[in-house]
Amino acid sequence: MPTFGSFALLLALALSGYTLLAGAVALYQIAMRARARVAPERLAETARRAGIGSFIATTAAAFALVWAAFNNDFSVAYILHHTNRALPGPYKFAALWSGQEGSLLLWAWLLSAYGFVLRLRHKVDVKLTAYASTILAGVQVFFLLLLNFAAMPFSLVSGPVPQDGFGLNPLLQYPEMVIHPPMLYLGYVGFAVPFAFALGALMMRYPGEKWIHITRRWTMVTWLFLTCGIFLGAHWAYSVLGWGGYWGWDPVENASLMPWLTGTAFLHSVMMQEKRGMMKSWNVWLIFSTFMLAIFGTLLTRSGLVSSVHAFAQSSIGTWFWTFLIIVMSVCLFTFILQRDHLKAENKLESLVSRESSFLFNNLVLLAACFTVLWGTLFPVLSEYIQGNKVTVSAPFYNRVAVPIGLFLLFLTGIGPLLAWRSSSFKSIRKNFVLPSIAGLAAAVVVIACGVHPWEIFTTNEQGSFYAFFAFSLGAMVVTAVSAEFLRGAGVISRHTSQNLFASMVQLCRRNTRRYGGYIVHFGVVVIFIGIAGSAFNQSREEELGYKQSLNIGPYRVECQSYSQDSNANYDTEYALLDVYRGSKKITQLAPEKRFYAASQQPSTIVANHSTLAWDLYVIYAGKNPDTGQPIIKVFLNPLIAWIWIGVGIIVGGTGVALFPNMTAALAAARNRVPAAAQAAAAVPARGGD
Amino acid sequence: MIIIACGLLFLGILFYVFYPERHVEEQHQKTRLEYLRERKDVLYDNLRDLNFEYRAGKYVQEDYATQQADLENETAEVLAEIDVLESQPR
Repeated sequence: MPTFGSFALLLALALSGYTLLAGAVALYQIAMRARARVAPERLAETARRAGIGSFIATTAAAFALVWAAFNNDFSVAYILHHTNRALPGPYKFAALWSGQEGSLLLWAWLLSAYGFVLRLRHKVDVKLTAYASTILAGVQVFFLLLLNFAAMPFSLVSGPVPQDGFGLNPLLQYPEMVIHPPMLYLGYVGFAVPFAFALGALMMRYPGEKWIHITRRWTMVTWLFLTCGIFLGAHWAYSVLGWGGYWGWDPVENASLMPWLTGTAFLHSVMMQEKRGMMKSWNVWLIFSTFMLAIFGTLLTRSGLVSSVHAFAQSSIGTWFWTFLIIVMSVCLFTFILQRDHLKAENKLESLVSRESSFLFNNLVLLAACFTVLWGTLFPVLSEYIQGNKVTVSAPFYNRVAVPIGLFLLFLTGIGPLLAWRSSSFKSIRKNFVLPSIAGLAAAVVVIACGVHPWEIFTTNEQGSFYAFFAFSLGAMVVTAVSAEFLRGAGVISRHTSQNLFASMVQLCRRNTRRYGGYIVHFGVVVIFIGIAGSAFNQSREEELGYKQSLNIGPYRVECQSYSQDSNANYDTEYALLDVYRGSKKITQLAPEKRFYAASQQPSTIVANHSTLAWDLYVIYAGKNPDTGQPIIKVFLNPLIAWIWIGVGIIVGGTGVALFPNMTAALAAARNRVPAAAQAAAAVPARGGD
Repeated sequence: MIIIACGLLFLGILFYVFYPERHVEEQHQKTRLEYLRERKDVLYDNLRDLNFEYRAGKYVQEDYATQQADLENETAEVLAEIDVLESQPR
């Protein structure tokens, strides 16, 4: 199998190289109307097929690596270092992305899979797709060069083959790790597609904005994958790392956040280009930056440039990535300079109080957040380079900057939909802002009445309550603004069709899925903010608990029933059985563990968590007191955490709605059985707007 | 066995890539007229959105009238250019 895998990778490289060269030659011949022995269209068709072939070859290579993992082929160094015989099946599969070489193979495979779909759907715009396919092939060549010459997943072990492998990193032996990295990679890699279309459209001076329409679903799906990947990672950190939090501003977490921020900015600002032909250069650079940040994120994780629980060891592939980034940057810059006159805006910003300006502010704030994260991530590297000593930037720096930025974004989420395109008069603003403002003020009063005192920031320097206060108040404002949008729109449909309000809302969503799906996503964002705001009120206690001893935290009493140890082929474990009481009623039993994995000789914490909508009771087995032999138990009471995961679910649902095609006016008319004449009159107002 | 698998993979893909296809899609250059038709659709969409939001009670009459006039002017310009291009001999 290693021979087959290596051959498949070499074949994939040859095919991608052919797609790049033949594709580029064909495009040049077509653009220059050059004479050729082979018709350029035929050459382009072979390039397209070679791209599809490279997907088959990369799939064969990925299959060979998984096969080797499942068959305990420890002659392959990668399998030896990342699996062992006792490793459960799903984790053997996850071994594909648990090491550097495997994860690069996953990158290449996902890229070839995206390319495969793009090349199959080439009829949507043959010429533009040919450009995008050639650019994607260029990216693919880079990753396949890496896999064939720098990070070879099928390298063989020198000397005798060991009987068993060294095992998988214990931190990765958790169900979410089977889906978190592929999700994240689907997000990272997926941005290559809108990037390729944007660069291709610029190279060929594509008239109009249809390339945005073509890539809209690609961008949304990619963004969704990245969002899910980030939050799955947060949930994994919460459930596995055992420090009671879900986001530590770790460099690798930051690496995934940066393309997400610019990708989110792109998703918003392309609407201005589609509707008003504005911000063309800005959008092109946003998607260029997003792709480069995705590559940079991979560089951070793979090269050992920064220290992180996620990062792999120091390696030489950093030079490859830097070279690739410089090439990508040069190509983007060169193309932009050459074609910048093609990106002239068709309209100008007419007023600062308009939907356009709210998008612009949204973009600026997202970019400010991205720059903050980038600065904080690179600061240790830069400080070491300039001063000679590494200055680490920790969570307080990010929180001080990112939290206010996040709250301002939340504010913009609320006001954006209330503003009109082009310009809003004071009368319109007053009309639309009254209800959300009242809701925000009412929420502020309720929050203060519940004991959240924002003025404590001036007396105790306690920032948590201050930010939580604004998060709750702004959250109420945004929810009211979004609800008002739904109710107003549904009201129009209800008047025209005599349907009830709920049915009208469903029809409203179906008639403009992108807009109302987007509002659902905004609602999900509010819910996440509420969950994050809860962290201002976290509590924790750590105590040694003997048999029948207990500790109190919040409304809970945690009582130790027993503590013991166990072992199986994969690991040894120490655990405690803890009964949880609320008042006198026992509500659950928790069993936090500390495992020690035999193959890798590494420990791991298994958190026990009792989650409700109000708070999580999060319990860690912190070890044994060597003097008494009794377990040390650390307990956190984390309010509102569950809302973060619920918010992500809402975002998934909202994006799902936005991905659906709009129901046409004709279909809506047929559904409503509205007479044709009446429908013709109603056709204009019956669609929800963007 | 491995050599046969490698050979089959190589030959299969080679055959697929270079198999002569009778019909090859032409790489068509988008014309100004096509672009204008796309623009017209977008402007119609914008007008529909504006009407919808006005009926939903989101804008006051003055804002609506100004925006509608702007959009209609823009649409008229696009339609006029479409008419000119369509009337030209191909």
